[in-house]
Amino acid sequence: MVGETLKFWLMIAWLLPLAGFVVEIFFGFYSKNPRHSKAAAWCAVGCIGIGFLCSANALRIWGNANEWCVLEAAEHGDPGDTQADAGHHETDSAEHQTAYSGVIYTLGVFGSLEVTLDYYIDSLTLVMFTMVTLIATCIHVFAIGYMSDELTDEYVDHSAHTSDGGHVHRPGRFYRFFAFMSLFCFAMLGLVLAGNIFQVFIFWELVGICSFLLIGFYTERKTASDAANKAFIMNRIGDFGFLIGLMVLWTFFGTFRFGDTVVDEQVVDQGLFSMVHRDGTGNVARDEVTGDVLITDTHGHVLTNEDGSNRQIPYYLLVVIGLGIFAGCVGKSAQFPLQTWLPDAMEGPTPVSALVHSATMVAAGVYLAGRFFPMFVQEVLLTIAYTGCITLFLAATIAMVATDIKKVLAYSTISQLGYMMLGIGVFGWAAGLFHLITHAFFKSLMFLCSGSVIYGCHHEQEMPKMGGLLWKMPITAFTMLVGVCAISGFWLPFGLHFSGFHSKDAIVASALAFIHANPAHFMLFLIPLLTAGITAFYMFRMWFYTFVGKPRDQHVHDHAHESPWVMTVPLLILAAFAWFCAYGGESGHLYLMLTGDEPSHLAADVTAATAGGINLPGHAAIHAVHDDAGRWALIAALSGALIAYVLYGTNVVNVEEIKRQLGGVHGFLANKWYFDDLYDALFMKPAHKVAAFCAWFDGAVFDRILHGAAKSMIVVSKWDRVFDETVVDGFVNLIASATQSVGASLRVVQTGRLRQYVMFIVLGVVALFAVMFTTFPG
Amino acid sequence: MNPDVLLSAIIFLPALGALILAFLDSRAVAQIRAIALGFTVVTFVLTLLLWGQFKYDVPGMQMVVEKDWIGTWNVFYRLGVDGISLPLVILTSMVSMLAAVASWSINKQHKGYFILFLLLETGMLGVFLSLDFFLFFVFWEVMLLPMYFLIGVWGGPRREYAAIKFFLYTLVGGVLMLIAMLMFYFNSGATTDSFNLIELAKAASGTSETLTKTLSPNLQITAFVLLFIGFAIKLPAFPFHTWLPDAHVEAPTPISMILAGVLLKLGGYGIIRVAFPLCPYGAYYAAYALVAIGVFSIIYGAFAALAQTDFKRLVAYSSVSHMGYVLIGLGVWKIGEATGKTINPDMWLMGINGAMFQMIAHGVSSAGMFFMVGVIYDRVHHRDLNQFGGLMGRMPLYSGLAAGLFFAGLGLPGLCGFIGEIFVVLSAWNYSPTLAIVAASGVILTAGYILWAMQRVYMGSEYKGPHSEDITPINGRELTVAGVLLAFAIILGVFPGILFDMMQSSTSALVDSMQLGYEKAAATLNELQAMR
Repeated sequence: MVGETLKFWLMIAWLLPLAGFVVEIFFGFYSKNPRHSKAAAWCAVGCIGIGFLCSANALRIWGNANEWCVLEAAEHGDPGDTQADAGHHETDSAEHQTAYSGVIYTLGVFGSLEVTLDYYIDSLTLVMFTMVTLIATCIHVFAIGYMSDELTDEYVDHSAHTSDGGHVHRPGRFYRFFAFMSLFCFAMLGLVLAGNIFQVFIFWELVGICSFLLIGFYTERKTASDAANKAFIMNRIGDFGFLIGLMVLWTFFGTFRFGDTVVDEQVVDQGLFSMVHRDGTGNVARDEVTGDVLITDTHGHVLTNEDGSNRQIPYYLLVVIGLGIFAGCVGKSAQFPLQTWLPDAMEGPTPVSALVHSATMVAAGVYLAGRFFPMFVQEVLLTIAYTGCITLFLAATIAMVATDIKKVLAYSTISQLGYMMLGIGVFGWAAGLFHLITHAFFKSLMFLCSGSVIYGCHHEQEMPKMGGLLWKMPITAFTMLVGVCAISGFWLPFGLHFSGFHSKDAIVASALAFIHANPAHFMLFLIPLLTAGITAFYMFRMWFYTFVGKPRDQHVHDHAHESPWVMTVPLLILAAFAWFCAYGGESGHLYLMLTGDEPSHLAADVTAATAGGINLPGHAAIHAVHDDAGRWALIAALSGALIAYVLYGTNVVNVEEIKRQLGGVHGFLANKWYFDDLYDALFMKPAHKVAAFCAWFDGAVFDRILHGAAKSMIVVSKWDRVFDETVVDGFVNLIASATQSVGASLRVVQTGRLRQYVMFIVLGVVALFAVMFTTFPG
Repeated sequence: MNPDVLLSAIIFLPALGALILAFLDSRAVAQIRAIALGFTVVTFVLTLLLWGQFKYDVPGMQMVVEKDWIGTWNVFYRLGVDGISLPLVILTSMVSMLAAVASWSINKQHKGYFILFLLLETGMLGVFLSLDFFLFFVFWEVMLLPMYFLIGVWGGPRREYAAIKFFLYTLVGGVLMLIAMLMFYFNSGATTDSFNLIELAKAASGTSETLTKTLSPNLQITAFVLLFIGFAIKLPAFPFHTWLPDAHVEAPTPISMILAGVLLKLGGYGIIRVAFPLCPYGAYYAAYALVAIGVFSIIYGAFAALAQTDFKRLVAYSSVSHMGYVLIGLGVWKIGEATGKTINPDMWLMGINGAMFQMIAHGVSSAGMFFMVGVIYDRVHHRDLNQFGGLMGRMPLYSGLAAGLFFAGLGLPGLCGFIGEIFVVLSAWNYSPTLAIVAASGVILTAGYILWAMQRVYMGSEYKGPHSEDITPINGRELTVAGVLLAFAIILGVFPGILFDMMQSSTSALVDSMQLGYEKAAATLNELQAMR
């Protein structure tokens, strides 16, 4: 019953933006005065705003239904102890159901196989729903101001050029922007609500296409359409892996559902999560002889095939499933090696970058990795951890030299997503998702601030042309500072720490506990720690570069102004959340809500099943090193910020000189480690070569064979004609002429004289008689 | 309506229209158009009526009609419909109707055009509804001639070449089918049921009451190969596909719509209606080849599309690529050597359903894509991808609709192309992981060529080609065609159950009978071995 109610509210929140999209796109196109009306914007804001209220209401209903058991858990003691006993949450969920799932409708049924659209609602779903709708509402409101220059019949696009050297003039497309944003919200919320992995894939692609539409919003710009294509195709490469994971899952498990569908306390449809059973050590249950992973029912009893054999899946295929799904996450969350699309995606309008390319869509990869966590085995987790580790370092180094304010934020996003992945990979499930939420707030805040700066500076994005904007746009500057402190993870007394402090701490602590358990993987702690310093450095560099110091471009500075309230109010709201959303840290409400339905095998240590395998630290192990890790991270961040202050906040050091000294490194970083060139040479060019070959092959081989066959037919028929006309006709003519000559010679005897004929007859008769009498005597 | 009459009415109504047009003054263009369109609309309504009378839970043929035709040869006039043919019949009448609307752009010899057009529709509907092999063959050939003239007379500059290429290719396929047909006829005793597709299928699975003899397993393989090549040419599958780009490029827009929307489906339909049930053992024997050809067609077609500079040729190659999924879905039939039973029959069932869905989906999306190419071609009279650009600003509504239809072709969830592709691919791992992975990689290439084409045509700062002044917004007639197709693409993409429910009983029955057919053939082979 509660499940139905929750479904009802979340379905409204999910479908309203879709309705909004339809209304906005059609009314926008057909209304008499679409170029000057803000109706589309208010429609979009209304839809997503009501969606937020519905989500919040659903959260309330969910909490009341289980008497907020999740939050009470904290009051038993400090968080380390609560999860110490593994069975704790199981007993909780037995008393209070916290996860609800069921079918929305069926796509297709094939015998025993069923593909459906489901919903799966647990605390993670609800937190994500509320976060997405809240941030989206703020960004929609902000966009009303930011996109207001589209409210015209004659929009001049200074970044798009025509062949005669002029700028493109076009009608404004205000309504279209909000329509696409609404469509995106629909797709994103569908992704979160999805109750099976196939449905995730559906909305995965839909958010991808919305991202494509929004990146390419300025379709006139070649750079924008290039970036849009790149984003979509890079994502498709990840989705190729996703698809392989889906195929294996489908073949061996025969279902895509996450959770068990429970009707009247009976499991009617078993989900994936309960099919892979974990034994007392936290490892997956395996067949003792073959080593294959056993597929079990909800009580851990092995399921059997029709012929009575155990249902099982080879262990390596379980790894393939994990890696495949994770490949999708790599594409969507712009992880190494598919990270190159995200910086280019900054071609989209800034609210898009804030919503799609930092807070929600790109975080969907992390969300999925968290959602699908129960299916991941150690090898997959290690891959996730290293991918995250490489990504967070790589992106942070590039962010240090980027000069476009949005590019800095883009690389920072990639880097932070790397942190989240790392967190999930080192068994810090809650830490990774915790960072997802806090990052969503402070990164969307910073993007909106950068949008406010860009708007105030009349579409100037290059930081070398800014500087000294602090008192020109104070609200923007100080809210941005909140974001910068939050991402750096600064500590303040009285528990007023910035949200990033809590979440980054949690990740670093998990990593430290992980390397205690697996000393060989010490890089997984050192690199994030170092990068915490780099993060603080590039973030403060950006802030100092933009807001303090002397104005570097007087023209830009003179015309800069603070943005209107419609843009600053969202900044203030988001700043409050960016600062305080994680209040209380790991005994705070946000963290406890998030971890309310965490996979149960996280609680205790998992020791490696094989020699040289990976040990995974449980809650107690992580908690033990928490304070150490926090101290290290804070020291790193403070030193990074200090260096940034010295280099960019004061005039003590000549930055250009350093840049020249380190020219090689700087060039390498500024060229983004040459990934784009590498991929171009490795994949793009060969693909076009193969394509050209295929097209050539059709014409040069198949058609040539065909034409050859046709020509030989013609030759044959020519010979046929010759044969016909000389041999066959010759023969016929020969007979004809022979007959004729016989006739002609016989004509001699045809005299017409009767006596002669009578004589012939008589002679003939006599001759006949002679013959008869000689042959038949008697 | 009485089913006896209904099926025949659906087939011959367009032919009747053609007959009426023959008596009209050839200068009365408006009337000719109106009458032709009227007949296609009424035919469409009749097929909807057929849908209304269709019973979902009957696994076999419904509304069967059987009348004497050529008694001495045991040829009958047999019609019927099941869950496999019904969606295709509706698709045919719908695409024909929309193509008739699109035919307004035809600007010469209207009377002849519409007569041939309607005859073509009769031929297509006849193929989908006939249950007699001979009748099937007759309709198959009836389709050929109007198509030949429609391309050869109303086509582009190289129309004669394209028309003769199309004609010869299809004729070769027809001849192969004829040989196979005679094989079946004489090997089943040349009785009154020897052309009956349903009885022949039952004979193959050993459940026929009237036909006791049929092809031996080895002859089944021969017959299957003959039939398969015949149908693969139509599909078209690599390496029998080169007629398609030429035919499409030269054909006028509405004929391209029919060609891609319906004619290609005849290949898939032939495989699922004739080749599979009549030679189950042959089908099993060749299954790997089918899947491999399908996979290769997907990749090859996508690469070839990537290299095209002619917009229409690109869409034509995308058809080669998309129809590869049909072969995969049909072919993923895996039998355990030890048990002789299908491994995971539900997976194969899913593959067949996916393949059928893909045929319908491609019928909608490719017809739409060809129409969208036609719309811009009518204005600027060229199709060079490098000479477009900026149409999003010049023709916003057109570009929006085109984006929707191209996304449907790209296999975007929520649109029809996705369901068929994904269900086929999901069912493929069970058969062969390697082929499944290669097939799945098609998603990257498809995104590549479609997005790149869209970028060159619709995006960009300005239009770069000739006749810029002729670019006018899409008109109401064009909007109707594109809107209807896009609406279908969305409906099928969001509620694929509409089609799956229709097909379910028939495809399940097919899977079961194929299994029986394999068992029968395997038993025969064992006996032969024992005798030796």
